Amino acid sequence: MEKSGTSRRSAVKTSLGLVIGFHLHGMQKVMGATLEEKENFGSPHLANAFIKIGSDNTVTVVIHKLEMGQGVFTSLAQLLAEELECDWNQIRCEHSPVAPVYNHMFAPVQFVGGSSSVATSWVQLRKVGAMAREMLIQAAARRWKVPPKSCRAEKGVIYHPQKGSLAYGAVAASAQKEIPPDSLVLKDPSQFKVIGQSMPRIDAPVKSRGDAVYGMDLRVPGMVYGVLAQPPFGATLKTPVNLGPAKSVAGVVHAEVFGNLVAVVATSTYGAFKGREALELKWNLSSDPMTTTETQSQRFSQFFETPGTPVIKHPETLPNLKKAAKTIEAEFEFPWLAHASMEPLNCTVDFDGKKAKIWSAFQMPTSDRAAAAKALALAPEKIEMITTFAGGSFGRRASKTSEFVVNACLIAKSLRKPVKLVYSREDDMHGGFYRPYTKHRVKIALDAKAAPIAWHHQIVGQSVMLGSSFDAQVRKTGIDGGVVEGVQGTAYQLPAMSLDLHMPETPISSLWWRSVGHTHTAFVMETLLDQLAEAAQQDPLAFRRPLLSKNPRHLAVLDLLEKSSFWKEKPAAGRRFGLAIHESFNTVIGQVVEVSLGQDQKTPTIHRVDAAVHCGTVINPTNARSQVEGSIAFGLSACLFQELTFKQGQVKQRNYHDFPILKMSQMPQTRVFFVASQDPPTGLGEPGLPPIAPAVANGLYRLTQKRLTRLPLRLS
Amino acid sequence: MTTFKLTINGRDHPVDADESIPLLWVIRDTIGFTGTKYGCGMALCGSCTVLVDGEPSRSCQLMASSMVGKKITTIEGLAQDPALGQVAKKVQQVWNEKSVGQCGYCQSGQIIAATKLLSLNPKPTEDQINLAMDSYLCRCGTYMDIRRAIRTVAEELG
Repeated sequence: MEKSGTSRRSAVKTSLGLVIGFHLHGMQKVMGATLEEKENFGSPHLANAFIKIGSDNTVTVVIHKLEMGQGVFTSLAQLLAEELECDWNQIRCEHSPVAPVYNHMFAPVQFVGGSSSVATSWVQLRKVGAMAREMLIQAAARRWKVPPKSCRAEKGVIYHPQKGSLAYGAVAASAQKEIPPDSLVLKDPSQFKVIGQSMPRIDAPVKSRGDAVYGMDLRVPGMVYGVLAQPPFGATLKTPVNLGPAKSVAGVVHAEVFGNLVAVVATSTYGAFKGREALELKWNLSSDPMTTTETQSQRFSQFFETPGTPVIKHPETLPNLKKAAKTIEAEFEFPWLAHASMEPLNCTVDFDGKKAKIWSAFQMPTSDRAAAAKALALAPEKIEMITTFAGGSFGRRASKTSEFVVNACLIAKSLRKPVKLVYSREDDMHGGFYRPYTKHRVKIALDAKAAPIAWHHQIVGQSVMLGSSFDAQVRKTGIDGGVVEGVQGTAYQLPAMSLDLHMPETPISSLWWRSVGHTHTAFVMETLLDQLAEAAQQDPLAFRRPLLSKNPRHLAVLDLLEKSSFWKEKPAAGRRFGLAIHESFNTVIGQVVEVSLGQDQKTPTIHRVDAAVHCGTVINPTNARSQVEGSIAFGLSACLFQELTFKQGQVKQRNYHDFPILKMSQMPQTRVFFVASQDPPTGLGEPGLPPIAPAVANGLYRLTQKRLTRLPLRLS
Repeated sequence: MTTFKLTINGRDHPVDADESIPLLWVIRDTIGFTGTKYGCGMALCGSCTVLVDGEPSRSCQLMASSMVGKKITTIEGLAQDPALGQVAKKVQQVWNEKSVGQCGYCQSGQIIAATKLLSLNPKPTEDQINLAMDSYLCRCGTYMDIRRAIRTVAEELG
């Protein structure tokens, strides 16, 4: 079996035993002295958690975050390599197993999310690198019988003025016995050699030659392929089910009903699809109005008429609304959205009754393992979780119920042979966790000089966090940060602001979707800010400055946009510019767009985007740029094309023809500028997304004088 | 079930499969070249692209049993393809140096499409790049990186 996340070639090398484990000896004691508890070095079981140095001088960095495209194999390796002083060309990466030592810095579980991987590993992995370097130096010094301080390390080699040199591989085994110094001094940014450089992605070669192993590519001897028929939301399966037609399809080896699911298993993926097609399943569909788009929309609007949970309270909001010389009122609507990663969901399970191996791209492997343990009636330690590359995720593989893992376990438990559960594109789109449908209603009071004097904001949106490990927190407060973030905590100094929240629960399940609540809150805030600028007859960029005067990072972004972007150019005939700026995941991004309309006066073209980014220290400039560009593409798909609609719990959209993603010809020419900074790094996987849709809407307003308040944008 | 022979990456592979099975599933499940990806099953995304007698083709829409006697090249064999190998090697090298892929799942199709474009048209314009690459979807949104890489290959092959 191949190891995930490595090429076939290096997997072979590993199996030949050329790699010697480099154990960070006495981890607990040392860690107690030098690192705080929250830095997650508590586990005595995995002392060599992050680094393996081979006798051939290869350095294998164990990556505790899922590589799903965001570049963690490279960026996290850069953090560690900076202090390790190894030769970058000797670095390999592999996904970690599940163990407490790999837990997230801010949670008792392993997970990837919130654009937090680099930010939370910034100190952790540099310290690991420094510790290993010191241990290697000490081992060399001991062999040479010289003081460690007289040695230095560079590019994977330890040097002494008289004794010569020793490669890391030559001392790796003996370094395991060394105890690193109590205090480790991390480099000053002026000494960085790897951090801040555009190191080529470590996963690029295996991906460009087709050798990278994704969950979908898993092949285990004796493996069969399973597919599921899933119910529409709120529906129940009519019984009895006639499984005969599926079982008579060539290659089908098994069919079984699991509650509301029907599994068909065959000797090939194609056979399993054909077997499922042969079934004639009937469902009792839901009559809940919340399972049909039109009636759900009406229900959501009704919530505006009653008070919800106060999130921000201000005593002057309502009195000032009454004093208004002019009022701006707007209602906004955002659809359900699927993640639609290129690789549909899948999971492979090999269960022999006593233990199990499970392969998939796990964003939350600790809770996935717990869910699998329950499904298989095993202790979690009896399950080996093997993380593969992910063909995208955008939040989807951080499932609140681990349903794709659990479903694969149900089949494996029944069959007792290795099974790969495969979702078709349609299954993935109908699979059931989406960016939730959300509405906003805002009233802004202006005084006689067109200055705002009150901001009354209502949000109706299904909770994202309910049903997740953050459930209790949301139930206690009635407030889900994933619904209100971006309005709550806005950087703008707005007078007499209040925010009121309703979180109706529907039978349709919600999930974090790239940039979560910011997907809609940034649109509302930034299009309204443009309305205020218009009322004040000011340039949108200049208008925002005084409202952001206490936020130096926002001001730096506006400065950089003004200096570097095309904002100050004169737009060509038929074209206009739009601007938006938003902070998410501690990163501030401003974007200006150039838009025009096609001859039909309905179809927008986005010609150019310039983005200015404040994300603290940039670890890898090329990947940082790529993440921002990719987020812009992702955001434009939602801005221009995407919505899921429902009828009695059935999703109407099926595939990329009716849930389109942006194409090459629709991708604007994009430039990304970074504010020079030595602050600790902040998130980059998501923050590029929120500003794009409002920037486009603001540009379209300047062309059409129409304020669009619904996504995807439609000009009638 | 039917028995036939497919020529993939310069080697013959005997196949015993359902007559209607798409080429994609034979390549992936039966033979094991998993670099050819399943993305949509409807010829919408391009992740399953292979070369059939030198033409980029959507393997999810081709019946495997109709491919007998044709030369099929997958991403794994692209660099050794007698006709396109030289350009492909350059494309893959630039793809690596410029870190084009993110999740990488669609990149087999992107690389095959870019290789074919550059072999036919060594100096493509922006419009020609858009046209040739437009039906290859990337959810990560690597389009700017793909454009830059294609321009770089064009310069280096110059």
